[in-house]
Amino acid sequence: MGALGHFLEREGIPTAGISLVREHTEIVRPPRALWVTFELGRPLGKPDDAGFQTRVLRAQLDMLERTDGPLLVDYPEDVEGEVDLTGWACPISLAPRPSDTLGAEIDRLMAWYDRAVAARGRTTVGTSGLDMRAAGRLVNDALDGELPPAQSLKLAVDDLRAFYLEAASAFPDPGTTRTRVAWFWDETLLAKALLALQPKLAASADKQHKLLAALTLIPATERHRLERDRLGVST
Amino acid sequence: MVRRLSELPEVEAKHLSTTRIVCPTYDDTPLLPGKPLAARRVAIISTAGLHKRGDRAFDRDDGSYRVIPAETPASDLVMSHVSVNFDRTGFQQDHNVVFPIDRLRELVADGTVGSMASVHYSFMGAFPVDAAQPHAKHLAGLLKADKVDAALLVPV
Repeated sequence: MGALGHFLEREGIPTAGISLVREHTEIVRPPRALWVTFELGRPLGKPDDAGFQTRVLRAQLDMLERTDGPLLVDYPEDVEGEVDLTGWACPISLAPRPSDTLGAEIDRLMAWYDRAVAARGRTTVGTSGLDMRAAGRLVNDALDGELPPAQSLKLAVDDLRAFYLEAASAFPDPGTTRTRVAWFWDETLLAKALLALQPKLAASADKQHKLLAALTLIPATERHRLERDRLGVST
Repeated sequence: MVRRLSELPEVEAKHLSTTRIVCPTYDDTPLLPGKPLAARRVAIISTAGLHKRGDRAFDRDDGSYRVIPAETPASDLVMSHVSVNFDRTGFQQDHNVVFPIDRLRELVADGTVGSMASVHYSFMGAFPVDAAQPHAKHLAGLLKADKVDAALLVPV
């Protein structure tokens, strides 16, 4: 991000950026950066809080007047962590049964996904061009047979993840984003499929498969589950 | 709340550490003067890997950008950033937490900002710097053609 500030400013476009990782910005030294303490993925701080977002944006815009840089300004507001609803349990029975399948799990979530889309008026699903049943079949086929190209698999998995989390946001008691992400990794067959797929991708001769396995299939915060699975520890 | 890397859980701090992620360095930093905010035309340049549904998704090492016309409905915006190590639920809930186009539009409406660009852009932030530089240079020309004189850089 900081590099873009250098490029554009050098080409005649004044810039003001947001910094999510202060240590990176201190090295890159872009023209103007507003350091915020928000979670990665939320540069404006709070979803559905126009007032908060406007204050961040104003602070960013106000830096444009300054030419005494490189500027790295600390934004004064923080976002408090979400209330951790200890004991929260997914109110919809999605627990895998012995005869359950990924396809059946996807089907069970459809109604909740539709509710979420109706409530928000939009969805972020749709980078792969596949419907969710087809995306699920792609993951199953990758597990059971030949691996598809890495980019096709990556986009299908990203769409499925968005589909699951958007659906969960419409559950009668949706918990918090944190509990829903925990639900995804703790309880869903899709997460189990991804964890099972990772070693197969890692063992592929294809470099892109290896990179997917190493970096962009399982988040860093969830990779401990791979080790647990490898050791056969029951969850 | 995220503070310094040293305050993050170990796995996240390690992932973001400057020994793992190579940050580019520059000998100097240009800072251009400009008009007052109320006379500026502002564009949003995201690095969240955003694009319109149906546009080409971002791939690994992709230094190019996607075009997001100002009139793009939020329902057409999707994200194909390669990284899985940031929250996406905020964007799922409200696109403005990543791409604050409605907030910028409001600031234009109340006269705080002069005007909004007719087109905004998104890169995918995990680009190798050398891959993005020619695209950024080209982008600067497009911004000037749209009379943009301020770019808001918004990471993810």
